[in-house]
Amino acid sequence: MIHVQHLTKTYEDLQRGRFVAVDGISFSVQKGEIFGLLGPNGAGKTTVLRILSTVLEPTEGIATVAGYDVVRDSAAVRRHIGFVSNNTAIYDRMTAWEMVEYFGRLHGMKSTTLKRRLEDLFDQLRMNDFRDVPGGKMSTGMKQKVSIARAMIHDPPVLVFDEATLGLDVLVARNLLGVIRSLREAGKCLIFSTHIMSEVERLCDRIAIMYCGKILDSGTLEELRDRHREDDFEELFFGLLSQHEQEMRVGGRIDHPSAANHGVGEQLV
Amino acid sequence: MSDSSRAIRRQAELAGKPRASAVWLIYMREMRDQLRDRRTLFTIAVLPIMLYPLVGMLLLQIAQFTRQNPTSVCLIGTENIEGAPPLFEGETFAPELIEQPDALELLTYRWDELSADRPVRDKANEWVKTGAFDLVVLIPPGFKDNELMGDLVGTETKSTSAEENGESDIELLFNVGSDQSVVARQRVAGVLAAWRGEWIKERLSGVGIDAEMLLPFEWSDTDIAPERTREAAFWSKLLPFIMLVWAMTGAFYPAVDLVAGEKERGTLETLLCSPALRSEIVWGKLGAVASFSMLTALLNAGSMLLTSSLVFQHMGVGGAGAALGAPPLVPMLWLFVALVPLSCLFSALALAVAAMAQSSKEGQYYLMPLMMVTLPLVMLPMLPGTTLNIGTSLIPVSGMFLLVRALVEGQYGTALFYVPMVATVTGSCLWLAARWARRQFEDEAVLFGGGEQWELGMWVRHLWRDRQIAATPAQAYACGAIVLVTLFFARLTISEMPQDFAGIAKLVMMPQVLIVFPALIMATMLTTSVRQSLRLRMPHWTTLPLAVLFGITLHPSYVMLSKMINHVYPVSEEAAAAMKPFAEQIASAPWAAVVLLMALVPAICEELAFRGFIFGGLVREKGKLRAVVLTAIMFGISHGVLQQSIAASVMGIALGWITLRTGSIVPCILIHFTNNALSVSLGRIADSGWSAAPVFLTQTELGPSYQPFWTLISMGIAVTCLLYFGTVSPATDESESELVGSHHDYVDPTASLASA
Repeated sequence: MIHVQHLTKTYEDLQRGRFVAVDGISFSVQKGEIFGLLGPNGAGKTTVLRILSTVLEPTEGIATVAGYDVVRDSAAVRRHIGFVSNNTAIYDRMTAWEMVEYFGRLHGMKSTTLKRRLEDLFDQLRMNDFRDVPGGKMSTGMKQKVSIARAMIHDPPVLVFDEATLGLDVLVARNLLGVIRSLREAGKCLIFSTHIMSEVERLCDRIAIMYCGKILDSGTLEELRDRHREDDFEELFFGLLSQHEQEMRVGGRIDHPSAANHGVGEQLV
Repeated sequence: MSDSSRAIRRQAELAGKPRASAVWLIYMREMRDQLRDRRTLFTIAVLPIMLYPLVGMLLLQIAQFTRQNPTSVCLIGTENIEGAPPLFEGETFAPELIEQPDALELLTYRWDELSADRPVRDKANEWVKTGAFDLVVLIPPGFKDNELMGDLVGTETKSTSAEENGESDIELLFNVGSDQSVVARQRVAGVLAAWRGEWIKERLSGVGIDAEMLLPFEWSDTDIAPERTREAAFWSKLLPFIMLVWAMTGAFYPAVDLVAGEKERGTLETLLCSPALRSEIVWGKLGAVASFSMLTALLNAGSMLLTSSLVFQHMGVGGAGAALGAPPLVPMLWLFVALVPLSCLFSALALAVAAMAQSSKEGQYYLMPLMMVTLPLVMLPMLPGTTLNIGTSLIPVSGMFLLVRALVEGQYGTALFYVPMVATVTGSCLWLAARWARRQFEDEAVLFGGGEQWELGMWVRHLWRDRQIAATPAQAYACGAIVLVTLFFARLTISEMPQDFAGIAKLVMMPQVLIVFPALIMATMLTTSVRQSLRLRMPHWTTLPLAVLFGITLHPSYVMLSKMINHVYPVSEEAAAAMKPFAEQIASAPWAAVVLLMALVPAICEELAFRGFIFGGLVREKGKLRAVVLTAIMFGISHGVLQQSIAASVMGIALGWITLRTGSIVPCILIHFTNNALSVSLGRIADSGWSAAPVFLTQTELGPSYQPFWTLISMGIAVTCLLYFGTVSPATDESESELVGSHHDYVDPTASLASA
């Protein structure tokens, strides 16, 4: 459902000049699978997911979602994706119901189907008690639920959760992970980015560890453990990071997306 | 296969077009959102309803206050006018000498009353200075010598006696720093003139002449304007101004909230990842902003109209008796017709500007610069004597304003004539502004960039470290601004026309140096390739002879255009006289020197700067239109004289298009050179005795001019040349690449997917 090849994104930055946020990464995610994107802050996770949701355009490389190219068929991609991020806030002066209904309408849903779908979603996510509360008066957990309902309103085959548990209390976060699992059962294709390792361990079918815009390694949890002969996932993660830092120091600054880096990315597909 | 590909193509076409339903949906949401916002409601509804009555109340209070404060005048030396016709009566001037005597308070002293301790004049001076009196009338003792009957025959004896007695004229002491004092002086001067008239009458009747007989004629003023027109004239000046200012304000705050505010709150990204297209988002938001702009303008203007007409009626403004009432309503409807496009224009501008801000707070800072740019356009029609003509109708906003005024005043014929021009200008401004707003929403750097700390040292390092092959758009703007500002100040230093050729050479060279210098320095310091940043590329060889041909054949049209411009905006006689020695010097100087100075140097310097460095920067990031239009405008402004500026701007468009098509400035240098060389050589060619010259040229009293038939033919050839320029493939297409030199290639995803 999601294919990413040699994806590169560079920004102009006052301090660092031409800054490579995503450096020639490649991966793909299948139906009924939760793909975990794990990495520290600033690793480039959000940039990748923003490219997938067509909010940003890639500098180089290709990304397709549900068979649609994110550059050429961006509108079609947006119709087939649900994007939840801590950056995608909800409107302060709209109630939960209005907010979700509005996005349903933007997806071109008919009134009757939309109403049925809204009732279903509000039941499923237990949102009925704050139906008419405006966004400005909601708690973080309520807001997150509205965001999820907003992303799911058109029943997209692909869902992207970018640091979706950030700032949620344990109860709500647990609830959210439950929702995500049930989405996998429904055969959706899911990407879940986080910097919290326990979530990845409990939830994801496959994991990619991202650092400085590169995917250091990817595979199922077992594959990673076997490959690096390390049972403790946290140790494995830090081991990979420090190994990469060392390589960088030895090999000088490899900041530019070059042909050599593309080769590395390809092995990970 | 072909069927499906056609279907895909059709789908792709439809996908790029905004859907009305989505635009409407977004529009409705933004409207509802704004109406739920306390601040917006306050500006558009509460403020106008509360503010104007409050201001009106205050005005009335102040009016009462000022009325109780009449002008105070002191008259010193009452004993010196005894025997003269009565000047004052009790606490004011004699009733036959003054209108509205209540508004003036008069205090009288005898001269000897005050002259005890120190000179009367010093005392009076101090009174006026401290404001104890607005005006002091000094009637010195010497005035006594002006006897009522005078000495109508022997004036000489009188003047000698006056000299002996010192000062004999009345003196009015006033302070120009105080308005009331100036008004008092005017009024009292009127009183004194009337008083002198009385005096003359008595003198004349003393010698047996009837004063009435001496007056050859009388006149009377009659204002034929009906009540309606007078009111319309007043309101048609004031009301559009109020409305446009409010339309601007009313557009700006919602725009900041709907773009910068949403960016800040994170809801913009939510909207961007919904299926709504960027264009749909822009149109929806634009609609909402424009609606608020219009609503604010209407409510404010309406409320102001109502309150002020009530206040005016109360205060009796508008001349004696004829109080200014509410404006005639039907002509005012024209205002609303004009409000719609102008509101949309302001809204698009506000939206595009607000998109640059990262937060609402930052957005507020952009209001002032935006106001500074648009306010002069609104103020211009308020200046006395500005009327609707070809020139003013082409100025954005002002033209529309003047058109509305003509409509309100009932000059439908005039208005109808200018409708196409005003509509074209307003329409294209609207289109450009909307396009800019849309571009802003498609620009990642605008939507997600910024937010980082700015520091001078870091910025300088960034400029040096991140140099690119050609200028960035920002550097191009900076270069243009530097050139125009230095030219402006340099022109101020020129005080007089030089009288010899060397002086003229200096005068011509100075702006050229100022134009080319910033471009050269910036090209060397801020880019990695001087040749690329100045766009000194070799175009296809055929374009070079073509450029010369184009230059030659374009010149007749250029001359015609200049004549047309001179007809619409005639050069003042002083300016023409000032230019005369210049033209004479040019005519008598050696031809080669003139061509070098007036054609070669400008062609190289101006092209390097405008079509080279600045164009090269502006054309990037998909800025083809921006590059052509802005370089043409800058090129025009750099010429300094209005008539030349307009012609140069038009020429700049053609040059910009050609440099865009060829990717080089070499053809432009050739065209520019040919054009200028012909301009300075026409006279010489006509006088040369070349047998073919009369075929192309005729001598007129205004100098040589092209034969009409040649003008026509040359136009045809020039258009053909232009068409040919359109077909050449440019040396490089700079506009598509964000970073010149880096290949921004895009692989067809379907092909690579097949391999995956």
